Amino acid sequence: MHRYRFVLFRPLQFLPVLFGISVVTFVLVRLIPGDPARILLGTRATPTAIANIRAQYGLDEPMWTQYLYFLKNLGAGEMGKSTLYKIDVLRLIATRVEPTLALVLAGVVLALLIAVPFAAISARRQGTVADHTVRVLSTAGIGFPSFWLGAMLIILFSVKLDWLPVSGYGETLFDKLTHLVLPGLTIALSLSAVLTRSLRAGMVAGLQSDIATAARARGMSENIVFWRHVVPNALVPTINLLAINIGWLIGGTVVVESVFALPGLGQLMVRGIFSRDYMVVQGVALTFAVATVLINFVADIITVALDPRIEL
Amino acid sequence: MIRNWTKAALLGLALSTTAVAYAEAQGVLTIGRREDGTTFDPIATAQNIDFWVLSNVFDVLVRVDNKGEALVPGIAKSWDISPDGLTYTFLLRPAKFSDGTDLTAADVAYSLTRIRDNELSLWSDSYKIIKDMQTPDANTLVITLSGPSAPFLSTLAMPGASIVSKAAMEAMGEEAFAEMPVGSGAFMVDEWRRGDRVILKKNPNYWDADKVSLDGVEWRSIPDDNTRMLAVQAGELDAAIYVPFSRVDELKMDANLSVVADPSTREDHLLLNHSHPGLDNAKVREAIDYAIDKKAIVEAVTFNLGEIANSYIPKGALYHSDDNGARGFDPEKAKALLAEANVGPLSLTYLVDAGDQTAEQIAILVQQQLAAVGITVTLQKVDPSQTWDMLISGDYDMGVNYWTNDILDPDQKTTFVLGHDVNNNYMTNYKNDVVKDMVAAARLEMDPTKRAVLYAEIQKQAKSDVHWIDLYYSPFISVTRKGVENFGQNPLGRFWLEQTTKNY
Repeated sequence: MHRYRFVLFRPLQFLPVLFGISVVTFVLVRLIPGDPARILLGTRATPTAIANIRAQYGLDEPMWTQYLYFLKNLGAGEMGKSTLYKIDVLRLIATRVEPTLALVLAGVVLALLIAVPFAAISARRQGTVADHTVRVLSTAGIGFPSFWLGAMLIILFSVKLDWLPVSGYGETLFDKLTHLVLPGLTIALSLSAVLTRSLRAGMVAGLQSDIATAARARGMSENIVFWRHVVPNALVPTINLLAINIGWLIGGTVVVESVFALPGLGQLMVRGIFSRDYMVVQGVALTFAVATVLINFVADIITVALDPRIEL
Repeated sequence: MIRNWTKAALLGLALSTTAVAYAEAQGVLTIGRREDGTTFDPIATAQNIDFWVLSNVFDVLVRVDNKGEALVPGIAKSWDISPDGLTYTFLLRPAKFSDGTDLTAADVAYSLTRIRDNELSLWSDSYKIIKDMQTPDANTLVITLSGPSAPFLSTLAMPGASIVSKAAMEAMGEEAFAEMPVGSGAFMVDEWRRGDRVILKKNPNYWDADKVSLDGVEWRSIPDDNTRMLAVQAGELDAAIYVPFSRVDELKMDANLSVVADPSTREDHLLLNHSHPGLDNAKVREAIDYAIDKKAIVEAVTFNLGEIANSYIPKGALYHSDDNGARGFDPEKAKALLAEANVGPLSLTYLVDAGDQTAEQIAILVQQQLAAVGITVTLQKVDPSQTWDMLISGDYDMGVNYWTNDILDPDQKTTFVLGHDVNNNYMTNYKNDVVKDMVAAARLEMDPTKRAVLYAEIQKQAKSDVHWIDLYYSPFISVTRKGVENFGQNPLGRFWLEQTTKNY
């Protein structure tokens, strides 16, 4: 079991990482020009009204004092009061985590559903028309901007065919799933392009490897050789690729959430930035940071589990 | 094993796509808007997005009528103003809050005290004039002012002055109330899924409940303009607001939809910084006004849905005056005036909100039009949240801005723009003591006829001084499914959903 020792020690390294991220986002959001009090008041802002709000939210204090308050709040299980929504940011984030998480999951699952069969066809029929078609498609897939792709999917599946809802998020599980298909597909189509290329390369190498040759020599059918020996090995680098891309994936959800009106963290973040709602921005940034760190951690565990040769 | 898993997932996916039920109650109107509200505490917000829903949930003492021309009874059945303009006596109609308790004069006094004194209030300044409030009986409220104020009654119609239940606010606490408010409006909050939608249901205790046809209203937030329009086209929404001007023609062609254009008080104008050399010369400002082809702007920006603005008081609004000597488009006259002013070659910086398509469009047009009379304009694109700071500190020559009225009375805008009060006359650094005195006098004048004369004179003088350049007025545009009747908003933005019907 010593190969899993890192599971105990790795989390200790998270603390300085998260501390660093909290300082950087805290400072960065305050360096952007613009004043939350002014934005809250709109065109009617008067100097006294602005001063009142700045005092109320502690925005008139020096930045390091504000940071200490932030840490103190975190210790008490709070993230500070949003200037725009006037409630604690943690409460805002709590309701927004699920749609974003569900969207990322839907995107990854659909991407794998697309990528594995395509990569398999491509790898097993190298050099054929099928192989070239898959490779061209996966190059094209990266090129489509998600706001355009999303709109096209809506026009086809919601307006013309009336199969799926245009926007929003559901209440029941079924309702939620139907609302996730199109946004999930939007993410999946570009993500699968990346995954297909990685999987194909892994599979091609796997098919020519000694393991495959040995398996064939033992009389196993080509199907068993492929799915039992080649695919699991090709998945290892793909999972790492996914983990590395998680930041990019979360960034992508911002646009997709906005196109499909999914009430997730990405939308909260965007509005937070436009309103200079410092507490919201640093809260969501910290949540994304924790998520990224955790996902990479889990990916490491999976990698170790899939490949007995790897030690971390 | 992976294969089985793939099969199962594909099957599940196929199942989930075959049938989608839009579980939608009959008589519930779903409206798409750009973003979700932020709070239901009336005093704590200055955003239209909140105001428009507050008006569904709360009552105010007096309302602005659907045309935006007069104040009509709200919770106050009638009112009486003392001859000295200091004492207002309101007689309240019998009404109940959504929780079934009686709405009394004490609740109104409590609500107005909150907007005046509470630290959460963004509107304290407008209500400081209230000196005292007395409630001789449950249906009578007597407000005493510290001085006469013609616009005071108008400020009582602002959604910020909504009447909240004192008992509920005290029992729940401010934060809980702001999420699940207790008001006396036509609708009540059933559920608020933050970031997604506000679900309102009909308030059975509303004083005029018999006339309300809708069972409920869902305000959904769909930030992407394109998606919001598609959602109406697909029938997922009954209505959508914030329709881009560019989409109107296309939506009109859809037989299932109706496009609604309601007059608004929005006025877009070009700010000029009077403290900068060149622009401190009235002849130069006049020349700029002559040089700008407002018709071209109305065509390009509003697709002819707007109209040329000739006064800072919007057309159709109280005390608007057409007869103020507005200037037409006359580049030759502009050149002549510039020659007369003799200030040499002019080079001006023009502040543009980056990412605001409309603002950028106007900027490019103005740049070309001024180039034609020999004025060089340099566009400076700045993040919208930063432009305000630059405008306030006078770090600009020109820039486009817009204003929408919160109250029926022109005093609020007039004071901000010409009152020589705060923010350097709306960042223009315009100075004219005659105008300053007239603005103050108009605020105190209680006789509507005399006020009309004063405001006509103010509009004339301001126009003659070119305090800024009026560009255009534009309407609110929304789109509904056919079968939605009487959906719309008054020029101040209030949606009269208590009169709206849905016939499908």
